[in-house]
Amino acid sequence: MDNVLDVVGIEKKYPGVIANRDVALTVKAGSIHAIIGENGAGKSTLMKILYGLIRPDAGHIKAFGKDVELKSPQDAIALGIGMVHQHFKLADNATVLENVILGSEPTRMGFIINFDQARKKLVEIAEHYGLEIDPDESLSNLGVGERQRVEIAKVLFRGAKILILDEPTAVLVPQEVEELFSNLRELVKRGLTVLFISHKLDEVLSIADEITIMRQGATVASRTPKSTNKVELAELMVGGELPKPRAGATKSTGESLISIKNASYMRQDGRQVLNNLSLELKGGEILGLAGVEGNGQSELIELIMGLVKPSGGTVEILGLDATKTLTKDIRNAGVAYIPQDRQRDGLLMSAPLWENRVLGHQFASPMANNAWVNKGEAIEDSKRVVSEFDVRTPGINVLASALSGGNQQKFIVGRELSGSPKVILAAQPTRGVDVGAQAIIWDHLMKARSEGAGILLISADLDELFSLSDRIAVIYSGSIVATLDPNKTTPEQLGLAMTGAKSA
Amino acid sequence: MSTQSATPNKAEKAKSFFKSPARVTILIAIVFLVVSLVENITSAVDISSPGTSGATLRFAIPLLMAGLGGLWAERAGVINIGLEGMMIVGTWTAAWFGYLHGPWVGLLAAAIFGLLSGLFHAILTVKIGIDQAVSGLAINLIAAGAARYLSGIFFPAVGGDRTISPPVETLPTFTVPVLAPFFQGIDEKNIFLISNVSGLIYGLLTDLSVVTVGLLLFVPLTSWILWRSKFGLRMRFSGENPMAAESLGINVYMTRYIAISVSGMLASLGGAYLALVASSVYREGQTAGRGFIGLATVIFGNWRPGGVFAGSVLFGFTDALRVRQSDSVMAMIMAAGIVAGLLSLYYVLSRKWKPAAVSGGIALFALWMNLRVTNIPQEFITAFPNLATLIVLTFLAQRLTPPAMAGMPYRRGSE
Repeated sequence: MDNVLDVVGIEKKYPGVIANRDVALTVKAGSIHAIIGENGAGKSTLMKILYGLIRPDAGHIKAFGKDVELKSPQDAIALGIGMVHQHFKLADNATVLENVILGSEPTRMGFIINFDQARKKLVEIAEHYGLEIDPDESLSNLGVGERQRVEIAKVLFRGAKILILDEPTAVLVPQEVEELFSNLRELVKRGLTVLFISHKLDEVLSIADEITIMRQGATVASRTPKSTNKVELAELMVGGELPKPRAGATKSTGESLISIKNASYMRQDGRQVLNNLSLELKGGEILGLAGVEGNGQSELIELIMGLVKPSGGTVEILGLDATKTLTKDIRNAGVAYIPQDRQRDGLLMSAPLWENRVLGHQFASPMANNAWVNKGEAIEDSKRVVSEFDVRTPGINVLASALSGGNQQKFIVGRELSGSPKVILAAQPTRGVDVGAQAIIWDHLMKARSEGAGILLISADLDELFSLSDRIAVIYSGSIVATLDPNKTTPEQLGLAMTGAKSA
Repeated sequence: MSTQSATPNKAEKAKSFFKSPARVTILIAIVFLVVSLVENITSAVDISSPGTSGATLRFAIPLLMAGLGGLWAERAGVINIGLEGMMIVGTWTAAWFGYLHGPWVGLLAAAIFGLLSGLFHAILTVKIGIDQAVSGLAINLIAAGAARYLSGIFFPAVGGDRTISPPVETLPTFTVPVLAPFFQGIDEKNIFLISNVSGLIYGLLTDLSVVTVGLLLFVPLTSWILWRSKFGLRMRFSGENPMAAESLGINVYMTRYIAISVSGMLASLGGAYLALVASSVYREGQTAGRGFIGLATVIFGNWRPGGVFAGSVLFGFTDALRVRQSDSVMAMIMAAGIVAGLLSLYYVLSRKWKPAAVSGGIALFALWMNLRVTNIPQEFITAFPNLATLIVLTFLAQRLTPPAMAGMPYRRGSE
């Protein structure tokens, strides 16, 4: 039995959309099989079909050599197929163990949970597969990477032989990605099979044994990392020539837009998150901010937006003292903000797109007339954003929650770049979007720069930093430790600086 | 990000606060010491008298049952504003069926009809998807209206009147042998502090209703179900993350049906207690907003059965004082002022200025009242329990860990 999964001719249609067609997939036992494609290429639909969440209109699935019909996740679980969702399905107000055993609790007399037996089994699994897990820890204390391990443990606890991971790296910082990959390699070594959805080509090339590329709902090609390269994969995904970021010439206007001098900030829990930080952003430049997540980036943004007050130092933005100005007035002065967590800070998920277009612009013309929202203008401009930024949506009256993550991000970027802002704070602007959308977002950022805007680009994607930034500032434990010229710096030097090493 | 990483700390604190028995015990001991002192100074003997502790328990049980009812519903993810109405169901059915077939049948009938009223709330909110607050409000209105209507039809014919049922036979009570006389003996010796504590225990052990003991058992039972049983785990996840529960094959709808039905049964039993134990008659307006106070005890108790119990005792205690003697309220204010003063001192020493200022302010206010106010208006006494809740919630609000999805609309298959 060589192939654990054989999928032929899968088709799934929704009114007006073909989510999957002609899908064929063969997954070998004990391999890491990556499935890549743009947002909306049908990867998630296919995975949901394999996990029994969606029933296909046509096609055959063979699992472990037998024809199967997956009516529900329970069928999939019974067959040994488990899924690690992109958005974790965990409860904070419970322990790791409780999260893992939910739904397949070992019991005494049918209703009393046998916690001892459950804990023993979880510890055994964790040791066997090299997962670091403390069963009795409260989930609320865990970071993203640890939560993902709990999700993986949950699937293994149910005896899964095939793990489906839906964009597992989208939520992780680089170190956590490395940890995840070493965990996955361990799982495969122990005989499990991993199906890995991604659109990050570097990751796929480094972890996968085989790669299947999807485009517009269909599987278009299969490759192995040895037989292909990044450019070919990207072209297969997009179906044509790949747009590249063009680092245009710098035309700094010299005008100082943001000037932060010796800013410090202490969080309520007493942690000093910003430490004598100084930074200047000029018009017509993109200042990249590199740093491992959690080194003060979020607090820096909050400081600039006037959301928190520094314990020392000055923060000046567009001539305003950010420490004494309302966020509303800072925004109205021409500051755009693309937040890192789009669903939490960027959108009202249960509001239609056109209402989301008004957000952040609700106090100024053209979105508002005095106290009233200008609905007509909001609708018109939402349509413009949708077409200019290629937001894939049935219309502007649908709820923001109906869009896929990448399309939500495109809509936010489009909204924030409306009205020619002078300062753009872009936190992970292309995280979770596909290469096509990435190119659109990059183009618009560079266009804004050429029109004289200053852009503070916070990114975990070093490629993005190198290709867009005019200067790269490195933030480490709340201070700017280095400012580098991207043309004279190697990724290795930047990486070293991000760890706080002085030599850079 | 700052908020995200701050939450675990808060959650932890909340846990350790409620979970550390030593701290709670010390706190209770301090409060009791202050109460004894105040009693000796003001000679308001009622605060810790046996009569007060017995009355406290009688006032606490209906609140406790409403609170546990609220806890069951909210732990499963549905807010139950209808507790008040479900209590009315309990008072009326207990009195009517109690009159017809004896109090035990009345109690059983209250349980059954309470279950049905809970099921009604479940059908409206879980299956049909009506807003949880609207459904609860509807239940309150329907129950109050139906009780008045049915009273008018049934009661006048059998010796009651339009708002009062005929009297119901009382349920058996007992006094714990050996222990009760032992503590009574110590109480009468008037030793500082020790006699006060004994008096309190004596009050709790005398003329105890069998029903009181039975209903109290729901506290450990609820704890045990929530944290030890399969159903409890599934119920908690229905309230914390129903999407997760469903993705693991758990029938969230069924879990909620059961939990909300139990919620209705518990609240209704609280109502039955009012009609059968605390009195022996149904009277219109008998529940007097206890369902809502019950909801407050859920928050006060941080969605934990033990906390709900503590909350209902606190409310029951202020209630008991209010009906017994208004002198005691004055003494209570003094006791509260002293506790607030000590708390303020503690905060000053640990350099937490904000809480120090708040508790210091309360202490000064209590002092001012003791010096300047000679006669407390009845309105203030009535409002006292509510004021106490407000103060407590102000101090605890930041440390609470409510079920994450309680009150949120949830449909099967949503992500």
